[in-house]
Amino acid sequence: MYLTKDIPLSFGADALGLMFLVLTVSMWVMDLIFSIEYLKHDRRRVRFYVFYVLTLISMTGICLSRNLLTMYLFYEMMALMSLPLVLHDQTKEALSAGRKYIFYSMGGAFAGLAGFFFIYIYADTLTFTPGGVLDMARLAGHEDAMLIVTMLVIIGFGSKAGMFPLHAWLPTAHPVAPSPASAFLSGNITKMGVFVIIRYIYYLVGPEFIRGTWVQYTFLALTMLTIMMGSMMAYKEQLMKKRLAYSTVSQVSYALFGIALLTPAGFTGAMMHVIFHSLVKNTLFETAGAVMHMTGFKKASEYKDLARKMPVTMWCYALVSITLVGVPPTSAFLSKWYIAQGALSSGTGVITWLGPVILILSALLTAGYLLSVMLTAFFPGDEYDYPCLEKKEPRITMLLPMLCMAAAAVIFGIFPGPVMKIITGIADVLFV
Amino acid sequence: MLIALCAGPMAAGIIAYCIGRVNRTARDYFADAVAVIETGLFIWLALAYLGGSAPSFSAPYICGLGISLKFDGFRMLYGLIASFMWAMTTVFSREYMAHYPRTNRYYMFFLMTLGATAGVFLSADLFTTFLFFEIMSFTSYAWVAHDETKESLRAAQTYLAVAVIGGMVLLMGLFILYDIVGTLRMDEIYDALNRAVLNDPSVKGRIYAAGACMLTGFGAKAGMFPLHIWLPKAHPVAPAPASALLSGILTKSGVFGVLIISCEMFRFDPGWGLMILIFGVITMFGGALLGIFSINIKRTLACSSMSQIGFILTGIGMQGLLGSANALAARGTMLHMMNHSLIKLVLFMAAGVIYMNLHELDLNRIRGFGRGKWLLTAVFLVGGLSISGIPGFSGYVSKTLLHESIVEYMEEIPAASSYGYFKFIEIVFLVSGGMTLAYMTKLFTAVFIEKGEEGSKEQEEAGAMAVSYDTETEGHRGTYVNLQSAAALALSALVLFVFGICPYRLMDRAASLGTVFMHAGEHGEAVDYFTFSNLKGSLTSIVIGIVIYFLIIRKLLMKKDEEGNTVYIDAWPKWLDMENLIYRPVLEKILPFVLAFVLRIFDRMADHIISLLHRSLLREVEPKRPLMYGNAFTHVLGAVMDKVVELLNRTVRRKSPKVINYEQKLAFGVEGMIKMSRYASRSVSFGLMMFSMGCIFTLVYLIVMLLIHISG
Repeated sequence: MYLTKDIPLSFGADALGLMFLVLTVSMWVMDLIFSIEYLKHDRRRVRFYVFYVLTLISMTGICLSRNLLTMYLFYEMMALMSLPLVLHDQTKEALSAGRKYIFYSMGGAFAGLAGFFFIYIYADTLTFTPGGVLDMARLAGHEDAMLIVTMLVIIGFGSKAGMFPLHAWLPTAHPVAPSPASAFLSGNITKMGVFVIIRYIYYLVGPEFIRGTWVQYTFLALTMLTIMMGSMMAYKEQLMKKRLAYSTVSQVSYALFGIALLTPAGFTGAMMHVIFHSLVKNTLFETAGAVMHMTGFKKASEYKDLARKMPVTMWCYALVSITLVGVPPTSAFLSKWYIAQGALSSGTGVITWLGPVILILSALLTAGYLLSVMLTAFFPGDEYDYPCLEKKEPRITMLLPMLCMAAAAVIFGIFPGPVMKIITGIADVLFV
Repeated sequence: MLIALCAGPMAAGIIAYCIGRVNRTARDYFADAVAVIETGLFIWLALAYLGGSAPSFSAPYICGLGISLKFDGFRMLYGLIASFMWAMTTVFSREYMAHYPRTNRYYMFFLMTLGATAGVFLSADLFTTFLFFEIMSFTSYAWVAHDETKESLRAAQTYLAVAVIGGMVLLMGLFILYDIVGTLRMDEIYDALNRAVLNDPSVKGRIYAAGACMLTGFGAKAGMFPLHIWLPKAHPVAPAPASALLSGILTKSGVFGVLIISCEMFRFDPGWGLMILIFGVITMFGGALLGIFSINIKRTLACSSMSQIGFILTGIGMQGLLGSANALAARGTMLHMMNHSLIKLVLFMAAGVIYMNLHELDLNRIRGFGRGKWLLTAVFLVGGLSISGIPGFSGYVSKTLLHESIVEYMEEIPAASSYGYFKFIEIVFLVSGGMTLAYMTKLFTAVFIEKGEEGSKEQEEAGAMAVSYDTETEGHRGTYVNLQSAAALALSALVLFVFGICPYRLMDRAASLGTVFMHAGEHGEAVDYFTFSNLKGSLTSIVIGIVIYFLIIRKLLMKKDEEGNTVYIDAWPKWLDMENLIYRPVLEKILPFVLAFVLRIFDRMADHIISLLHRSLLREVEPKRPLMYGNAFTHVLGAVMDKVVELLNRTVRRKSPKVINYEQKLAFGVEGMIKMSRYASRSVSFGLMMFSMGCIFTLVYLIVMLLIHISG
């Protein structure tokens, strides 16, 4: 099937695409199960589910597309299809958040489109090929222009992944969506930005083309800044869902940082972080959603003593929080370990040690904004009257996805073998 | 087998929680059984080890980097000590925790920490150490916070903050180390580092950076100055069995880490040794000083822990300085670690007995509690005499060895110029030893000798109440401690005592167990502990201690109150607290503020640029209001005046705002003027008036010209 005379729409599955697809679909199912109870009494839930399915379809398209154009089409489609999820409540706040979401998405995607036009000139094909498709002979003399365009693409698609400078939609749009949707937005739709950037850097431009150039350094600097900024803003934020959204800003940039290092270890760490963060962030948003659903609490300070009212929910929260901080033997520790090793062996000057330092600092801030909530929930202080508490645990359909994902987040840390195998397979192809 | 020693108790913790939901007594027995079985397994392994088998375990795919455990002399000894301490404290917990709420949680984390601690001490590579170290930090948080009072939550916060920050800095060190050598196995690090330095001498700086990071992490757990802040806060608020473990064994896991750095990464490195020595000496003296000022029995013991860790660190530092001739220092370090663990077990449990009965820790309130309670007296005495290094007790042997290692270094010192510094260190060492004796005497006299004068009635009542409370549940009428707890106390003290009286048969053998781990040189001749030259150091310390007790504690730190009773006063200035003075303000206020300020700018940048564009270049064009009345001048002036009025209304005239629209008023005013002039210009009288005005101007002109003509 051809879109124009010489640009085909082509689909195909490779290990990377399949990995993202499996991740997306499984998280989608989890959020779906969660939403059954959450949206039970919502009169607009049919509309929600229609667009929820359409979002999945467009994401499947992204994962399975084999060339840039196909991917771009589905990428734009995803932005549009997920918009109604943000708008769902139709409050004034939701409307303005939706507007912001679509502006940033479209703006970013247009920046990406510029790259598409440029690559098209200097390459024979737009089919994803490990190592890149650029024709260096044809490119000779235009390297600088190509670098500028590459930077533009990274920033543009980085918008979806919540990378500075186009991250601002994320903390606005995620909290206003209904919790299952914000979980999916935060946990998986942001990952599509990561995916597209991987496709662009590793499969079109080629990592060798930007290694050691200002593009790599700028990309690294932007991700490092985003990591710190997201964590710090989350630390200062009181609204729980907004805090989690800022946390996403920070954590997705871990993955981007790993990708930008252009080393096997960095890439492996990034891929692991994509998976593990997805598990963690979906769980976190679901716990926040469950708390909102059962008690109406939205602020971090209101979580005090919640562990007695909702023990299972808060245990899920505790496990994934510890995971996200990166405490062994949980999973996110491993991804951070690999990213740090990637940074130390990347030969990028000051970033070799500054990167790990930033990771550590951000992990401390993560502890500050997630663990503090956990601690007050479990250790509220002695003025609480324990026998007079009523249980507010949500129903099993809400608990089940949280439990599954929290368990997975921990178990993958202890037995990372299968995940490692898949990722090493991908990395081996990319770094010959 | 080895992994079962770590994973078993963790699983048992969860099982204990489940059992506890159904039946508390069953849970207590279950927990006791787990700890005792763990001890049994360790004894069994130890016997096998002495018989020549050294089991090891490795699972390369678990947790990504693989965990590996092994068993050698040092690990055997510390495994034994840890499991023994757990067994004793678990048994002791039963009575102590009887009236506490939320004991299920307590037992769960209690057993989980046992598994994690076993994992730390059995670990054969640093990743495994780190893994269990972090688990241990988190599970032991639950101990410190257990009471959930304001102080305990705050102390627990400090504890966790130190643990998390320390853990992350440690992780940074591991990152760097792994990047340099590509392995974290303890027995490979030394060679790998040497190879790395041979290949590229510039890597040396990075190795030291890694070492410093790791030292921060492990030192924080060990209670090394300046990261000791959690010790005096966390120990007093935790339940006594937990304090015993925190102080006796959890700090040792930090020391274990410091030993790995010092004996594997920087083996025989004098520069590194000197640094550890300096930190050790400061910790040793600082802890003792805080201990003297403290008037809370558990706080004193916590400060004492800090001080004793300083002694151990001094030993580690001397190992580095002495190079391959470090047998004395290594043996002293090993023994002092062991002694301190056992001593603190005894002392904190004894303090626990006091708290269990009186629910007080303040020396003025618990005064005289121990009078006539011979078991408690004996137990406390054994612990106190040991820690003060009185000849005949275990602490004496280890302190003597540490002291001798300093003396040995001074004799062989290469440069005469640094002799003075080491003489100074020796003096500080002896003075700290004396201070140990002084604060232990302070505790002992307060609890066991002095009469409880003020408030003694209340105290007795409280004691009686506690006793009667116990009698109902436990059935031991009139006793202050039940049989189980007493057995745990007595057994712990007995072990300590036996070690003390058999320095050659037991202590020397225990010391030899650690030599392989610390890579100590050959132990030349057996040290005769009871010659005059060896006794001299201890005697000096004792004299100093007595002087300090009578001159400082009795004279300066005790006062008579209004009723004429002497009371212990807290003379330590309140503001002089590193945590509240430096760490908390910096970490809670200043750093977050600065960082948040800078990063918020970045965060809002895109939004602000967009809104700026929205307001300036890309703003929506407002349809122009037709100028019905007035002109441009009146609009501008009127708008300015309106803004001024608005401002005034908002500030000065808030009470009686002025409602007026100058823009409109001016426009109408101008309009009126124009209308007026239009009418005027059409009338006859206006013509006449203009004519006469012309006449007047002409007349004035003529007169002026005439005057000029005349004068000119």
